[in-house]
Amino acid sequence: MHSDLNLLKTWGWNHHHTSPPIAAYVHIPFCRHRCGYCNFSLLANRDDLFERFLNGLATELSELQEPRPVQTLFLGGGTPSILPPPLMQQLLALLRHWLPLSKGGEWSIEANPLDIRADSLHLWKDLGINRISIGGQSFDPAKLKRLERDHSPDELDRAIEAARSVMDSVSLDLIFAAPDETPEIWHNDLVHAIHSGLNHLSTYGLTYEKGARFWGERARQIIKPVDEDTELEMYLDAIDTLSSHGFEHYEISNFAKPDQACRHNQAYWRGDSWWAFGPSAARYVGGVRSVNHRGTLEYLRRLETGCSPVIEREELTLDQQWRERFVFGMRQLRGVPWQSWQSHVPANVRESINQKIAEHIEHGWMHEIEDHVRLTRKGLVVSDSLWSEYLD
Amino acid sequence: MNGKDPKSIGEIPLSRIRNFCIIAHIDHGKSTLADRLLERTGTVEIRRMKEQLLDAMDLERERGITIKAKAVSLHHWHNGELYELNLIDTPGHVDFQYEVSRSLTCCEGALLLVDAFQGVEAQTVANAYSAMDHNLKIIPVINKIDLNHARVDEVTTEMEQVLGIDPDDIVKCSGKAGIGIDELITAIIERIPAPSGETSGSLQAMVFDSHYDDYRGAITYVRLMSGEVKRGDKVRFYRAGVNYEVLELGQFVPERKPVDKLRAGEVGYLICNIKSLKDVRIGDTVVHANDTTVEPLEGYQPPKRMVYCGLYPSDGQDFSELRDALEKLSINDPSFEFAPETSEALGFGFRCGFLGLLHMEIIQQRLENECDIDLVQTAPNVTYEIVKRGGEVLEIHRPQEVPDSGEIEEFRQPIVRVNFVLPTEFIGVVMKLCQDRRGILRGNEYLSGTRALVSYDLPLAEVIYDLHDKLKSVTRGYGTMDYEIIGYENADLVRMDILVNGKRVDALSVICDRRDSDRRGRAVVKKLKEEIDRHMFEVAVQAAIGARVIARETVPAMRKNVTAKCYGGDITRKRKLWAKQREGKKRMKSIGSVDIPQKAFMAVLDTGADNK
Repeated sequence: MHSDLNLLKTWGWNHHHTSPPIAAYVHIPFCRHRCGYCNFSLLANRDDLFERFLNGLATELSELQEPRPVQTLFLGGGTPSILPPPLMQQLLALLRHWLPLSKGGEWSIEANPLDIRADSLHLWKDLGINRISIGGQSFDPAKLKRLERDHSPDELDRAIEAARSVMDSVSLDLIFAAPDETPEIWHNDLVHAIHSGLNHLSTYGLTYEKGARFWGERARQIIKPVDEDTELEMYLDAIDTLSSHGFEHYEISNFAKPDQACRHNQAYWRGDSWWAFGPSAARYVGGVRSVNHRGTLEYLRRLETGCSPVIEREELTLDQQWRERFVFGMRQLRGVPWQSWQSHVPANVRESINQKIAEHIEHGWMHEIEDHVRLTRKGLVVSDSLWSEYLD
Repeated sequence: MNGKDPKSIGEIPLSRIRNFCIIAHIDHGKSTLADRLLERTGTVEIRRMKEQLLDAMDLERERGITIKAKAVSLHHWHNGELYELNLIDTPGHVDFQYEVSRSLTCCEGALLLVDAFQGVEAQTVANAYSAMDHNLKIIPVINKIDLNHARVDEVTTEMEQVLGIDPDDIVKCSGKAGIGIDELITAIIERIPAPSGETSGSLQAMVFDSHYDDYRGAITYVRLMSGEVKRGDKVRFYRAGVNYEVLELGQFVPERKPVDKLRAGEVGYLICNIKSLKDVRIGDTVVHANDTTVEPLEGYQPPKRMVYCGLYPSDGQDFSELRDALEKLSINDPSFEFAPETSEALGFGFRCGFLGLLHMEIIQQRLENECDIDLVQTAPNVTYEIVKRGGEVLEIHRPQEVPDSGEIEEFRQPIVRVNFVLPTEFIGVVMKLCQDRRGILRGNEYLSGTRALVSYDLPLAEVIYDLHDKLKSVTRGYGTMDYEIIGYENADLVRMDILVNGKRVDALSVICDRRDSDRRGRAVVKKLKEEIDRHMFEVAVQAAIGARVIARETVPAMRKNVTAKCYGGDITRKRKLWAKQREGKKRMKSIGSVDIPQKAFMAVLDTGADNK
């Protein structure tokens, strides 16, 4: 069935020129409550909308027109694990239809520790999920409270243990530089994580985002952020401690045991294309970046009335594509294979990037290893200050 | 009006001509009163009145200030005889003091207008004294008497005490309500003397204003002191030394109305196909070209620019566009001057000279209104004089021109006499304000039980920085001030330089009093530290006098700047953010490899006065 919407075209799909995306992201915009630091697109405590949302999502997915096999699938949010078993079953069946996972594929779900139980884990696994990313954030009770998390350290321990016994791959998110956090608290979190038998860790310095409650509380000086030097110390501790315990630091915020890097996220940094569904979801198809409306109700209303939920769409020029690919590729610690890219990159872009690379190598912020350009440790910690010079 | 015969214009005998101006503080109702006079004499019909006709320019309307003088001839029947009343409007601001004095020279009388609530203000005092110096017949007027809170009796006392006005002479009126206008017209006719002047003598016409008309060229405003001038006459602008033929002459009624001739005692305009206002100098004398014996009128002065600043296009590409815009402005306003200059920090731009700070603001606003160029302005400075060893005198328009201290015999700065009028409870704070700025008290008298006139001599440099703003803030808006240049005085002045990572930023140098230099140096480097973003390396900001560093601040190197999360949805957002940062950087000025935001170039205005 072809609809009038024809989102496939809006998304950038082009039969003739585009090799199909082999990655897909699905955003589930629900949580039990909103933590003070979070500004993501989500609705807290709106179980009544679950079914309506799945119907909307089904409409959006049907715009694929035919099943599109993928090698990685990522269920993010929000808290996808919040869905009760029957609805979860419905969601996963929907995805298996439209986005069938190729053999050997990676299917991740973000989960709250409180949702991770033997029964739910088995359900997810039976329907094809093989990787779980746990929103744990810390093992310290006071810090969890400060971050307004709804689980205890023990609950997190039990969740990790349960996940490990069922899933092939278990990842944990940790936040550092929470208000009042000391380097000792953070170090304990790292050590605890190392001994939890995880094969992947993401560590995020707390950021104050517009739209999050912490943003205003910081402005009103109710919250005093950790100073920059302490935050840097914590970040470097994560790199050193995890690296010396068998984790490879493969992206600015990501660490993995050998061969356990998240394949889905690497697609973003490599500049690959991917599908995306759900409110606020951003996709990259055929050189076109497009984003859905971030309001869940508006997203649903649009799909229900035959309107496009896409509110931003940008077609990148070839120059822009290469500049992006360089900048975002450099987030990976191994860097980018610049030497082998050169022959494909338009001459003017190549020259301006080469000039910047030379300058930044001179300053000690980058170095070349074989055919790769990568960040030095000195460059890594200030790398955001470099990127504006590579973009046009 | 009744029986006004256009032909009679030009035949009105000198004895029935009155030339007068209105002097008043801003907002005391000068323009409204002028409109009412135009309306009551039938010069302008009510339905044609745009509110406040004389303030023709939008900008003047916007600011409520009459910037340029205008002249209008009113014709009025009085006791069966037709009179010609020439109203010469005067600019109401100190920057245009010289223009005011030329306008006053063209009058025999002045209406001294005082607001019935506000009372005597600093500007009223300055202008009234000036009118008295010119031997004008003063008609004191209290305006806005219809206001609920009018305090006519007290204001009468103030006028009596400060200005020596006889209370019996005061005309009470309301321009807005039209009260007392007939009495005022009668007073003008009966009290102001008729002009003197010999129609048969040599032509001497005082140029008191001009404006540029896109079709006719310069329109020259003149008052004939003696002789007469006719269409077709060959005339010379004496000081400018240029000859022209008079193509048209006439009066403003208030639009231009051609006449055959103008005679001694009359006020009108000349059109001579003059392509630039540069040839039409305020205060110049127009004479007959072939008259070799005639002397010019006294009191001419070339325009004196007291305030200078640099104007640079923030994008170097706009240089020629900016030059065109400045040229266009200077055609209309010869008192504004500009010359190209280069700055290591800012590239190619212009040094611009203004009569004063208000004049500078007006020109900048016109630039903004009339062309779409993003400008970087350097801190304004006054015109200094340096006497070098050996006696050579230099006029200094920018700090970079200051020679080595070893070569300086005397470093002089302009001093102004500032008159403040304020409620008595603020005398203390205003005195403190002036003493902090090295003022010398010159007078302090009570205008009435509640208001006082305080006079100080102050360096102009101190006045232009922030004195007016500070006055308004410490007196909660009730204090007013006015100033006049009284001369140059030797002072202990130094040039303070600002260095960024050891490199002098020429556009940030300032001239200041040596005793203030430490405080200002500290304030400026502190301000710059706030303005300069952190870089990937440490940035040292120093203030120095000669080789001696007097203040230092350090902008620490960026320690950590890395986005924790960067997944699918973040990519577009981040790219846009970084692309925007790149645009922002392009608009900054780069000294060495330090990016300095445009706002920082005004940081040198921070005097540190609050941190004393």
